[in-house]
Amino acid sequence: MPPKPHRVLLDRVSGYADEAAAYMRRRRVSRRPFARLYYAGGRSSDQATDSLAGGELFAAAGRLIEVAGKRPKP
Amino acid sequence: MPDGETSGVESTAGDSAAGALAYLTEMSPDLRGGAILGADGTVLAASGRPERWREDAKVLFDVADSAGEDPVEQVHIATEQGEVFALRHAGLAAVAVTERFALSSLLFFDMRAVLRDLAEGGDGRGLDAA
Repeated sequence: MPPKPHRVLLDRVSGYADEAAAYMRRRRVSRRPFARLYYAGGRSSDQATDSLAGGELFAAAGRLIEVAGKRPKP
Repeated sequence: MPDGETSGVESTAGDSAAGALAYLTEMSPDLRGGAILGADGTVLAASGRPERWREDAKVLFDVADSAGEDPVEQVHIATEQGEVFALRHAGLAAVAVTERFALSSLLFFDMRAVLRDLAEGGDGRGLDAA
């Protein structure tokens, strides 16, 4: 019996395919900012930019982006 | 990156988290910076200014938790200035800031793998360490 492909490798390849599709869709459909929360079990929710929670999330993200600074040069 | 070479990464609690963060940086070319936090919110490793990472990561998770009834597992926020990814897993948390349009599933996958390995006592490199 041939050995099963390694699960990690499968997950990674699936991730590439999913990401390629999602990347193209996102670029095509919208370049607007978004805030998305994911919960246990796979549920997710988008927070509107003009909502209270959305505004606080973008503010928190802005502070993290500030502390991260620019990408280090290789 | 060779073992122990974690340029730009400050560790406040052990070399494993610093090595894991350096490994995550190595795997993710879009990554600008990040931090790995313990269950109590202490910074185990950060790409500079650990106190700021601790405070800002806490705010992010607090706001995200208050947005719904359940605690969040992952947070992804995309802005014009960059993208923020945050993940809780195995009692640890990781926060990463990337360039725009980073590959979110891959980054979350790598972050989860690093946290899982750290939680199991590894150095965050998982299978690559073999």
